[in-house]
Amino acid sequence: MSGKPGYHGVLLNIDLSTGKSEKVPIPVEDLDRFVGGQGLGMKILWDRLKKPGVNPLSPENPLIFMPGPFSGLPVPSSSRTCVVTKSPITSPMKSDYPHASTVSYSNMGGFFGPEIRFAGYDGIAITGKAPELCYIVIDDGKVEIREGKRFKGMRTDVFDKVFLDALGDRRFKTVYIGPAGENLVPFSSVLHTAGRAAGRGGMGCVMGSKNLKAIAVKGSGQPTVADHPRFLAALEKARQALYGTAYAKSWAEQGTARGIVANSNAGTEAVRNYREGTFPEADKIGGDAARRDVWVRDIACYCCPLACKKSGMTKGKYGGIVHDGPEYETGVMLGSNLLISDMPGLLKAITTLDDLGLDQISTGNVIGFLMEAYEKKLIDQKFLDGIDLTWGNVDATLAMIGKIATKEGVGALAVKGVRALSRHIGKGSEKFAIQVKGLELAAHNIQANQPRGLSYVTASRGACHMSGDDIAMQNRRAMLDSTGICFFPTFEPALEAPMLDLLSAITGHEYDKAEFEKAGERIFNLEKLFNYREGFRREDDRLPDRFFEDAFTVGPKKGSVLDRNTFATMLTQYYKDRGWDSETTRPGKAKLKELGLDAA
Amino acid sequence: MAREITNTDKSLANTNLSRRDFIKRVGIGGGTIVLLGQFGVHAAAWALTGEPQLKMVLVDYTKCTGCRTCETACSSRNRPVMLKGQELPGLGNPRYANIRVHSFNPDVDVPNVCAMCSDTPCVKACPVEPDAKTSRRALYRDGETHTIHNDTARCIGCQSCARACATERTGVITPNAATGKPERMCTLCGGDPQCVKRCPFGALSYVEVRRDRKFYGRGPEKIAAELAKNWYGTAEFGGMK
Repeated sequence: MSGKPGYHGVLLNIDLSTGKSEKVPIPVEDLDRFVGGQGLGMKILWDRLKKPGVNPLSPENPLIFMPGPFSGLPVPSSSRTCVVTKSPITSPMKSDYPHASTVSYSNMGGFFGPEIRFAGYDGIAITGKAPELCYIVIDDGKVEIREGKRFKGMRTDVFDKVFLDALGDRRFKTVYIGPAGENLVPFSSVLHTAGRAAGRGGMGCVMGSKNLKAIAVKGSGQPTVADHPRFLAALEKARQALYGTAYAKSWAEQGTARGIVANSNAGTEAVRNYREGTFPEADKIGGDAARRDVWVRDIACYCCPLACKKSGMTKGKYGGIVHDGPEYETGVMLGSNLLISDMPGLLKAITTLDDLGLDQISTGNVIGFLMEAYEKKLIDQKFLDGIDLTWGNVDATLAMIGKIATKEGVGALAVKGVRALSRHIGKGSEKFAIQVKGLELAAHNIQANQPRGLSYVTASRGACHMSGDDIAMQNRRAMLDSTGICFFPTFEPALEAPMLDLLSAITGHEYDKAEFEKAGERIFNLEKLFNYREGFRREDDRLPDRFFEDAFTVGPKKGSVLDRNTFATMLTQYYKDRGWDSETTRPGKAKLKELGLDAA
Repeated sequence: MAREITNTDKSLANTNLSRRDFIKRVGIGGGTIVLLGQFGVHAAAWALTGEPQLKMVLVDYTKCTGCRTCETACSSRNRPVMLKGQELPGLGNPRYANIRVHSFNPDVDVPNVCAMCSDTPCVKACPVEPDAKTSRRALYRDGETHTIHNDTARCIGCQSCARACATERTGVITPNAATGKPERMCTLCGGDPQCVKRCPFGALSYVEVRRDRKFYGRGPEKIAAELAKNWYGTAEFGGMK
């Protein structure tokens, strides 16, 4: 269908209200300009939601699953699926629209994105709402919506098994939500292979709002490339850049868990609800400890030579099978941030969150906030339904996780996130409600890392640790997440040239570093246009007061705290360099024209 | 125990095994996992027949990460594309691979590839009368490479070979959905198996072997259950993944 090499040129539209699906052509211009993944997903969202203030949980809001041009080809680490929608979590300080929120995107590894492309699509956009819980089965061109009431309330680990049994063909790749998503917990996740997740930004909640439990896809097709011999030659070079290298081995050794000790030592870890940057007991939950006591396998996503995922087993009271973890984010948010240093307890929390389908980052952040509020006696045990939510308390943490997933008692308030909690509690708790635009911060602390603070406040989906610490990095990451490659291997400089070569060979469009970042800049600016239209302004690009007031009291970065004026000056310069108005953050006409977004 | 074996593994990290290493590791291992790793799919029958050695693809399950690069490499090689009269490797949809990684929950990945069984239950199951000249049935073993081939012109698509493989051995032989004719027998890529070459983790080896162990041609589910028991203390699997 496509006029553009490297793509099918086909988007699969599924309307759960009518039960109809259709294959619609994607304009070649959109493929050229927005590439795939996060970028093309954003463009589709922009085209669908023509006005601001659409309720993210309304049938109108599309939930978009996007592979990229690398997906479905044997490009190293080309495993990612980007899920794009309008956020059910964020909101601006003020807006004319009751349901104003940012764009949201969340990116996961595994095997789902490539399979979408094998089935003949460059993306899947789901709108509407099924009358009852359902699931979607996509087998090449055949699309079925099936009744799924019997799966109601099912946790993700068991669902992962019984769903494939029900499908009867192990070649299906599946994504699904847990009880939290069904219960419309805003920060619920979409799971894949029981241990991989599009965790951030409320994807599970939007999926739940559509009464959609799961999607299964398999395909027998193959995306093509513009220049086959060039692709094969570049593929060889890409493999050489990673295979057997010290860089790849270091990922296989510890994955992101290496950061649990490393960042603690650097004073950049979220500890005790971001009060500190160093956790003296980090080594008990770090990569070395996990390798020694927990992990039995290194696991890789599709065609990835890094294998950063780990599975294992713990014993004792909290014992059980661990699909993944600790990773840096999960290990810190449920570990250091809550002062939990009991490895099996930490892994029980991590495993439970995946099983219920909750975002590990937001959940860990929310519990950290409540622990601090409880310690400071701003809330009492009654407020917490009798849970003695003290620092480092694994049982209390597990009990709180249960409340959140079911929205029972205190859970009903906690699911709204730390901003809503702090507004409810008051008494100065806003200061340590660690969020931007309503989305909780991730496991990177910033009193001693101002650039990461910039990432948090300017990221399009609310506090995001991966957006990028400066403009060039933000543009690059927006583009990387649009191609289908994981960005972990892209820190290896030797991969850069083959990666650009591959993208050029696939799409027939010549990419060098500048062209690559230009495409990313376009994507980032379209996201900004969306957020601006919803009513987000400079006042929303705001860090909680803690980071300017509470200097670290321990660790190598003891005494570190951000300076308000310095941060504001940096931010003003950022908007100027972006070509945006530094008062309102409105993208300037000149910049939009340069990016071809003036008609957007 | 599983952990010790993993550690042992690291000393040989990321290198494909030479025959010597292979034998050495069998010596080191001694435990179920390593033996399974080496012999799970391809085991004793050749030794029993008294044939000395042959070269084949072996799987070390302790090194496999489930990345499925082997599937794409196999698919690329064995399902090439024609471009301007030139045959080039394809783009690698794993659907068309002869080797297949079976993934389970809990996390176990079992690459399944033709075990090249010496007693060929698949060939024996073929009901096509042997050819007078070659004495080959439709399904036959190549005398030189020992790989299994199907003469599609004579094959009647009865699926007897696939059934025999599934019930007695690895179950790798898969009938074509349209014709019923067997697929996924390993070709060894003309002596340069691409799965071995492309595996980023050295989990696959192309080595000369003598086999004298008891694990023989087991299906991926059984192997996965053994591995899970050792790694996670459970053999309880649901589901296929």
